[in-house]
Amino acid sequence: MNDQVRYYKTFVSPLDPCPPIRVKSYSTPPQLFIPFQPPNLPQFTPFEALKYGTLWPMLYSPYNSKNVRQEEGD
Amino acid sequence: MVAIVLNEEYYKLLHELQAVDFVLVELNLYLDTHPMDANAIQQYNQYAQLRQQIAHRYESQYGPLKNFGQSYSTTPWSWNDAPWPWQV
Repeated sequence: MNDQVRYYKTFVSPLDPCPPIRVKSYSTPPQLFIPFQPPNLPQFTPFEALKYGTLWPMLYSPYNSKNVRQEEGD
Repeated sequence: MVAIVLNEEYYKLLHELQAVDFVLVELNLYLDTHPMDANAIQQYNQYAQLRQQIAHRYESQYGPLKNFGQSYSTTPWSWNDAPWPWQV
């Protein structure tokens, strides 16, 4: 599955009093792109579902801590 | 009152119950928007039955899961026996 985090570069004023955050990220979980869930999708096992927080792998959206600083740029 | 031992089997059973309950939540929400999906309904009923079996096994060993008449109690009254959910 493609990465669910997207990035954009912010406008930085030369007069910015704070150290600027140049690249910001936002999450685009899969339900945004599935207007109506099709029937009979493949499923996780019950224990996997409990762990991943969804019964359907197609709708799984991972949560990665933002404390680990992403590589800036690109 | 016989103290309940929170051994590996206890947590295994509770984990099973939790997983099956979660599948039921997911299927319930799915069926709210897909009321004609016979496969999902069949799966829902199957898991509902499985849940009953697991809950019955749990309750016969470790005491009632619910109160107000939704579970049976032993004598003496076992609803308020430890462990409480936050002690597990």
